[in-house]
Amino acid sequence: MLKVTFTIYEESFLIRKGLAFAIGKIPNTQVIEQNDNSEEIYEILKNDDSDFIIINPKIMTNNNLKEIVEQKLINTQLIAFLADSKELNELKWAETISIYDDQNIIIKKINKLVGHKETQKSKSNSPEEISKRETEILKNIALGFSNKEIADKLFLSTHTVVTHRKNITRKLGIKTVPGLTIYAILNKIIDINEAK
Amino acid sequence: MLISRNIKMADVIHMNYFTLSVLNRFGIELGFGDKPVEEVCKKHNVDIDFFLEILNTFVDKDYFPKKHLQSFSVKLITDYLQTTHDYYHKVKVPEVESLIENMVDSCYTQKENIILLKKFFDEYKQELLNHTHREEEVVFPYSLAIEEAYQSETPDKSVIELMNNYSIDIFQNEHDDIEEKLFDLKNIIIKYLPQPKDTGLCNRLLFVLFNLEQDIIDHSRIEEKVLVPKIREMEEILVKNFAKK
Ligand SMILES: [Fe+2]
Ligand SMILES: [Fe+2]
Repeated sequence: MLKVTFTIYEESFLIRKGLAFAIGKIPNTQVIEQNDNSEEIYEILKNDDSDFIIINPKIMTNNNLKEIVEQKLINTQLIAFLADSKELNELKWAETISIYDDQNIIIKKINKLVGHKETQKSKSNSPEEISKRETEILKNIALGFSNKEIADKLFLSTHTVVTHRKNITRKLGIKTVPGLTIYAILNKIIDINEAK
Repeated sequence: MLISRNIKMADVIHMNYFTLSVLNRFGIELGFGDKPVEEVCKKHNVDIDFFLEILNTFVDKDYFPKKHLQSFSVKLITDYLQTTHDYYHKVKVPEVESLIENMVDSCYTQKENIILLKKFFDEYKQELLNHTHREEEVVFPYSLAIEEAYQSETPDKSVIELMNNYSIDIFQNEHDDIEEKLFDLKNIIIKYLPQPKDTGLCNRLLFVLFNLEQDIIDHSRIEEKVLVPKIREMEEILVKNFAKK
């Protein structure tokens, strides 16, 4: 089963750890903690591909951040963490957690989101098995072709190939080309003599 | 848990026995009775601040080095990193190699698959060697030169040229994730390799790989979170001082 991922953007160590602790009690979840309050937060947020982001709406008041959230984080849902005020801004929040919520309430709220996400994930073709298309791309990677070459060969954009590659890596748990090559040989996707 | 100078050294090991390899690299021998960290360090001529910094980075992935503890010299850091490199090449890599070798010898049903693993690791070994070699030949000497200029009252102008040709930021950018292939190798064995007869060997190999991967991740953290910020600060001050003149 694919894990449901959370990234917590929170400067306070106590709050961060507290939230991570509560989420950690729910099976099949994975938490990443970000304590960055610097300019780097733009870069990090932009490339964040977790399922949920927990963040204090106060940090989001900055317009730049709003843009990033609205344009880049299409598959990510936001959870507001409210430390003192009850004020939400106009962004779409999937849920709110208050600093005064007790453990049961927090777990209940998160659990609900996790449940939705899991059904969503299991619907989008069987999560760990690689698709036909992906197998074809994997084969070409193992044969030593570059992203560009694969794209030309299969009439795809390089961007699409890169996306497929990311999915292959995520599903198989193998990041490097030599690693993928061994997988391809073990699973008879290519012959051992074909590998360079 | 934060390790401080007053904790018993024996407790440090009980808490996390992987620290044994760190102690080893500092030349600290076992048999310290109930002596606190500070005393053991003194006995072995180990810089206590540096030792704590390394140990805490090692046991707690959230640990961020404190500025005030960064008083130790660059030479201490590079020496430690160098010792760690040697430990990989002289102890860990041969350990993995001999385990894989044993697997090849003892396997009859899928020799060709194990040979694939062997080739994969041979490639990795070369990559690791290139990685550490570059650090030893370029990054460490550069860092030491920056420190020397920083400490000197009349730094030679040549250091400016040195900084024009290289900088610690270049290192940070080119510094690659050398542990990725180990991650792959682990997963291939855990998830995809048809299990060889001798599962004991396989488990031992996995154990060593997990251990080495963790150690390398920690090592890279010290390079990026201890060495890099320290050198960057010196670079900035050097540039400022030269601009004043
Ligand atoms: Fe290194
Ligand atoms: Fe390194």
